[in-house]
Amino acid sequence: MIPTPLVDAAFFVFAAGAIVTGYRVFRTDSMVRAAFYLLASFSAVGGILVLLGSEFLGMVLLLMMAGEMLIMAIVMVMYMMNPAGLNPMTMVHQNRVAAVAGLAAFLALAAVGLLGDFPDRPAPQPALATEELGIELLGDSMLVFQTAGVTLLSTMIGAVAIAGRRGRSGSAEDGSIEPALQPDEEDAA
Amino acid sequence: MNVYAPIQIALPAVALTLALGVYLVAVADRVMAGVIAGSGPELRAAMLTPLRGAALAFLQWRRATERPDAGGWALAPALLGGLAAFALALVPLGPGLVVADADTGFVAFSAAIAFVMIAVYLHGWSPNSALPLHGAYRYGAQALSFQIPFLLAMLATALPAESLSIVRIVEAQATLWNVVREPVGLPLYLVVGLGVSFWGPLNMPDATDLAGGTSAEDSGVARLLWGAARASMLVAVAAMGAAGFLGGWFGPFLPGPVWMILKTLALLGLILAAGHLLARIRIELFVLVSWAILIPLALLNVFVSGAFLL
Repeated sequence: MIPTPLVDAAFFVFAAGAIVTGYRVFRTDSMVRAAFYLLASFSAVGGILVLLGSEFLGMVLLLMMAGEMLIMAIVMVMYMMNPAGLNPMTMVHQNRVAAVAGLAAFLALAAVGLLGDFPDRPAPQPALATEELGIELLGDSMLVFQTAGVTLLSTMIGAVAIAGRRGRSGSAEDGSIEPALQPDEEDAA
Repeated sequence: MNVYAPIQIALPAVALTLALGVYLVAVADRVMAGVIAGSGPELRAAMLTPLRGAALAFLQWRRATERPDAGGWALAPALLGGLAAFALALVPLGPGLVVADADTGFVAFSAAIAFVMIAVYLHGWSPNSALPLHGAYRYGAQALSFQIPFLLAMLATALPAESLSIVRIVEAQATLWNVVREPVGLPLYLVVGLGVSFWGPLNMPDATDLAGGTSAEDSGVARLLWGAARASMLVAVAAMGAAGFLGGWFGPFLPGPVWMILKTLALLGLILAAGHLLARIRIELFVLVSWAILIPLALLNVFVSGAFLL
């Protein structure tokens, strides 16, 4: 995107938003809130990607993160036996290790940002960027991405088969049934 | 090439379309209810009641719950309405008549649809109350189930256009509309349309069996805004359906934008009628049908559309 003052301003808004909401993930006291702050942080990063001319990746990031964060919130609440996710709880542990790891990662990334040698050429048109991405995904990197894709697809089909109505865990219509004490009893039933 | 309308045109155009659309949905819904109930269209009442209801909402006090997430509660209707405006801005009314002609319009629209579940979940979760929370979880199950068939149904429209731009998708239908080329696409899309605006048979999050579900604790202006945001989403979905499947601005005799509006109204009418004529389906059945039937059907649709291009 052509760097006009408006684009620059948008960049700083998104960048500040990503940092502040990213920080809030760890300072909030509820899992659902943490998931939503993380989503806000990723959304700001998606905005920066769009500003960089990588529209497809930016939009796909938004698309994926929305679903992902909802699943994450639901699963976290499920595991934590905290049905509403509104009960206050501490979101951090192992503070010292985390602080050291976080600081080290920040310094390493900052060093890459400051000392790295970045190509200085105008970004391609978004449509061309999308095309290049497609050629990359279905060209040189095809084997890697197709392997990952097929693996994920079979995982999905497996998950549906297990969780489905007549799946491994019994009919969904029946609700949860106490498992039998003896394996034979289960077969007989 | 991305082409965006200047903001002083874009904002009023989207705002006006949504305002008119929301009012139209409210009136048409009431007229249909009257016709189906056998008491006649009652046009005068249908036109005044939504306005009266809106005025009344401003006089109601704001209901409070115990320790809600006030920020999230206030944000949810704004987010849903904003997503509808975002989605609508991508739909072309005629050749060159579009607020945002983005190269990745299709992905942007899908991202907006995905964010709807965040808005609904937030709306149900933040009041810190049992029935809204039930609605939020129902919508989680429902929305995650229809996301994939929706993406696949829309993806099939991008294949003949060989582009992710909504304008290119419409232009590719100059000779043959996608509704003929991919007969499965529009029905799949309409299921999602009902789901995204949780209307009629797919109104599970805000259902009456949950005393209003995610909006059970809403009152006054907040309730009004949530209703308006839902209706806006319906308008955006109908407009995108007209562009993606019914050939957008193409049609004989009448000018392009008129065709586009007529097709949008036709889809809107279809969705609203479904809301009155079809019973609400159970969430278990919907999840099963989405995963076991709609996804394979949508995949088949993509394969067939792809095969025609070879």
